[in-house]
Order: sequence, then structure tokens, then C-alpha cells
Amino acid sequence: MSAMADLQVRIENAQPMQLSAQFDCAAGELIALVGPSGSGKTSLLRAIAGLLRAPELKGRVQVGQECWFDSDQGIRLAPQQRCVGLVFQDYALFPHLSAWENAGIGECRGVDERGRAEELAGIFGRLGLAGLEQRRPAQLSGGQRQRVALARALLRVSRSQREGGSARCGVMLLDEPFSAVDAPTRQTLYRELAALRQEVSTPMVLVTHDLSEARRLADRVVIVDGGQTLQSGPPAKVFASPRNARVADLVGIQNHFKGLFHKHSPGWGWLDWIDETTGARLQLQVADKNKLDDGVRVSWVLAGELVDILPGDAQLPQGNNVRCLLREALALGETSLCTLVPEALGGVALTLNVSTALLRSLDARQGSALWLRMAPQGIHIMPVRGNPPLSP
Amino acid sequence: MDWQAARVSLLLAGLTALLLLPAGLALARWLAQSDSRAKPVVEALLMLPLLLPPTVVGFYLLLWLGQGSALGAWLARHPGLHLVFSFEGLLLASVLVNLPFMVQPIQRAFASLPESLREAAWVSGLSVWKTFVKIELPLVWPGLVAGVALTVAHTLGEFGVVLMVGGNIPGETRTLSVALYDRVQSFDMAGAHSMALALVLLSLLALGLVFAGDRSRAAGRALRER
Repeated sequence: MSAMADLQVRIENAQPMQLSAQFDCAAGELIALVGPSGSGKTSLLRAIAGLLRAPELKGRVQVGQECWFDSDQGIRLAPQQRCVGLVFQDYALFPHLSAWENAGIGECRGVDERGRAEELAGIFGRLGLAGLEQRRPAQLSGGQRQRVALARALLRVSRSQREGGSARCGVMLLDEPFSAVDAPTRQTLYRELAALRQEVSTPMVLVTHDLSEARRLADRVVIVDGGQTLQSGPPAKVFASPRNARVADLVGIQNHFKGLFHKHSPGWGWLDWIDETTGARLQLQVADKNKLDDGVRVSWVLAGELVDILPGDAQLPQGNNVRCLLREALALGETSLCTLVPEALGGVALTLNVSTALLRSLDARQGSALWLRMAPQGIHIMPVRGNPPLSP
Repeated sequence: MDWQAARVSLLLAGLTALLLLPAGLALARWLAQSDSRAKPVVEALLMLPLLLPPTVVGFYLLLWLGQGSALGAWLARHPGLHLVFSFEGLLLASVLVNLPFMVQPIQRAFASLPESLREAAWVSGLSVWKTFVKIELPLVWPGLVAGVALTVAHTLGEFGVVLMVGGNIPGETRTLSVALYDRVQSFDMAGAHSMALALVLLSLLALGLVFAGDRSRAAGRALRER
């Protein structure tokens, strides 16, 4: 697919909801808008679809060459004129219509009935809905309902692509589409969506509050909070190096600490890891990307996958070696969720997912001492907003 | 049994429902979806006939529509409409006092439709009108049935307004409920009984329709939430 059908969103709004968002989604790409409930993710989705009731909305929504919304030029297409395949959180299936009628409700000019029916039959087959055409929504399971909603959305975007060739373009929007189904069904639907992505060439925007879902499905995540887009990037990157403390909190990073940054030599710096309850400090070597001044207060996160765990009596080479006591090990099958407290800092705790086999081979139990060896690349330092002076 | 009165009653009930249905539908949909500031005022005005004694409503209609009023005089001159002590006047009064009975159930039916259904239809390309015809109307029909049934039942039983505006003209404005009153006044208990029974049965039938519609809707909801 050409770069023509990219989605570009620039939205500013004050009333009734504060919005300040900027993100793009390439054709065939799936981005996830992630944030807590009430953060404005769904409002952004509704703004793309033309359903947001905000008379003062500013900005621009463009899909390929088509402008759907431009406050400067006074363009504001009605939802009917935007080619949007929208899967609602509650699926919004019409209870009085069959699955087939629900999915085929869309209006379209230029495509004959037979072509439509063939297309819809193809979509039903692909989504495993064949044989369920005549069922009403009430007679379908949660997963089946979700698929019917997906079929309706798919027909809308694929049909429109055919309607006028490449000039027409569409967007798939998914509003928490997995929140209403049980966990096993969700796993199936995840796999189906992943498979579907091979065939859908439109930009796809998924709204979710579930981080693991975003991580699993999206090419890029866009972190949304208070109507603002805070950071976007590939999931691995955003989760490993959040731009600031708020993003770190939002993406649910557990090992999120406070500290003080000092410059050392070109490319290197020291991090004073501070236990705010006692004032105790512990020094770690970190990379200096020349983005921070000497002596500033920082907040930092530790990437668990870059921490080695060694026996408490091991002889270790120089480096970020932190001796910890194992406070708790919660066995979760193959891995165990471990809470570790550095001996030098009594008031902070690390949470690491450790292989249960490794714990057994280390003969680690509650109260055991262990060495944690932290690679400098695993320590990601972020400025604290406003950078208030550290209390003595 | 006063068959003439029965005919007037049924004609009045049927025409009232027929005239009110489109108006009630439009008003109910607007009330269910609007967040206009005028909405509480309109709702209060609409409910007024429910609380006011029918004689009060009849009294004012008599004043406004009578030949003595500007409106009444104008109507009598131009379209030649005499709205006091005539079937047409009775029909107009009936339409006005039945507004809440028609609008309320339909409004509730519209309000119970999730907003996302409408939006899903729009996003699928359906115009506002097509969404109304294809999605909203089929889903609110139990409300329509209830509105019509309540209107019919209430019109059959209306007494005060009929007497005030329509008077008691046989074949023109004498309805079953007024005829029943007449029979009791003249100690014709057998005639009164037959008409009272007829009114009870008609009202029961109407209410049965309302509850049947309500049940089918409740059953549909339960299925959907399953």
C-alpha cells in the first residue's frame, strides 16, 4: 500500500474535554492508544470518526489525500462521509437484525449487491462466522459478537477501497474490542487480529487500557494521559525508556525509583540511588547521553531483563552490583515474582520476574542474600518535571 | 347499550391516536436525545394534563376556542370550524390532553436505545433518516404500541374534558363515559352496567397490549445481556 493512506491526527480541544494529541499511523500499521480510563483515548478515536461532539475542536485529521477535518479550512466531514470501520466497545450490534444484516448494513454507492454479498461472505468465512449468518446478536457468544462487529468494520473499509480505487481510503478503529470477552476467547481473538493484519492495508488504531494487549498487538504505542499524547514509539522502546516519570507510571513499570544524576567522564555518569525514607544512597554507574545536567534530580527505571541474579557469596567483578535480601518469592509457574530489598537501602524494593528454576538452583528462599548485577544499559534515567531541589 | 355513544367513543379514540402518533414520535425522539435548555419546560408542559383536573383543562379550552375568543372567532369565520360543542373540538381537546400518554412510553423507548447503535449506523454510512427508519423505529415499536394503547384507553375513559368542551350531543360528542353518567342520572342501571363493562373490557385490552409489548422488550433485553 502506498504512503498515501496514512492517517495523521492533530487535535486540540478545551471543552468539554481537554485534548492535545498528535499521532500518525501508516497504512497497514497498528497503533495502540494506551492510557488509564478517562484519559481521552476514546475521545480521540471518536474525533477521527467524526462522532466527538466538540464544537470548538481544533486541528486536522487527514487520511491519505483526504482531509476529514480541518478547523482552519472549516472542513468537518460527517461520520457517514468518513470511511471508518469502527468496532465499538460494546460492539453496538443491532439487536433486531441478523449477524449478516448487521455486518452488511453499510451504505455504499458504486458496488453492486452481488459484489457486496460476495465480499461479506468472504469476510464471514475468514472470521469463522460461516453458518451463523441468520443468528441474532442475542444468540451469539461474546467472541462471535465481536467478530460480527469486526466484519461490519472490515466490510466498510474494504468496500470503500474498491469503490473508487486508490483515491478512497479508510481507517480501522478498535475501541477496547477485547474488554467484553473472557480471557481464553481474548487469546483467540488476539491471534485472529494478528492474522487479519496481513490482509488489512488501512491504518488501524486500537484503544486499550491493557498494556500487555498493546505490547502484544501494536507496532507502536501512543501513551495518552489527560487527553494528551505523551510519548509514542515501538512498545519495547516505550516500555524500556519512558520519556518521563508519568509515562513510566502509566506503562506500569514497577521498578521506578528516584535519584540524583552526576556527570563523570564523557559518556558516563553516576546515579545516586536514593532511599527517600532514610536518605540512604547507593551509587550506580550509568550511561550519560548528554541530555541531563550535573546534579539534577531524576527518576529512573530498571529493565528487569538486564539484571543478572547471582548467589550472595559470589565474587563479582567491578560494576553495578547490589546486594539484596529476598523478601518474597511468589511462584507463578515457570517464573516467580520476587521482591528484593537492597541491603544498603532498606526503604525501597525491586520487583523482578525470575525463572523459578534459577531460584531453585540458587537455593534462594525468603531472607536469602543475592547479588543483583545491573547492566548500565538497563538503567533508564528521566528528568523530573520542574526538577525540584532534593530535600536534604 | 348506547351504540351511538360507543361509535363516537371509538372514533374519537382512534382518530386521537392516529393524529398523536406522528407528533408524539417526533416529540418523544427529540426529548430523549436533546440536551436543550427548553427540554425541562417542554416536559413540564407535556405532563401538565396528567396533574390538572380535566375540568380545568376543559374550562380553558372552552375559553380559548369559544366564539367569544379571538382564536375561536377567527376559526369560525375562515375554515368555518366550530370547535366548541362539536366533534372536531372534542378531537382537538383529546389530542392535547393525551400528549403525555403517547409521548411518555415512546420517549422511554428511545432513551433506552444505546447511543452507540445510532453512531454505529452513522459510521456505516446510514443517513440520520435511514438510521431512524432501519434501526430506531424497529427497536422502539413496543413503545409505540404502548403509547397508542394508553392513548386509546385514556380517551375512552375521559369524562371531564369531554363534558366541558363537547357537551353532551348525541351522535356528535356524547361518548360512552358521558352516556354512562346519563344512564345513572336517570336510574337506568342495566344500561349503565353494560356501558361500564364495555369500558372496563376495552381498558383491560389496551393495558394488556401495553404489558405484552413491555414483556417482549424486557425479554429481548435479557437475551441481549446474556
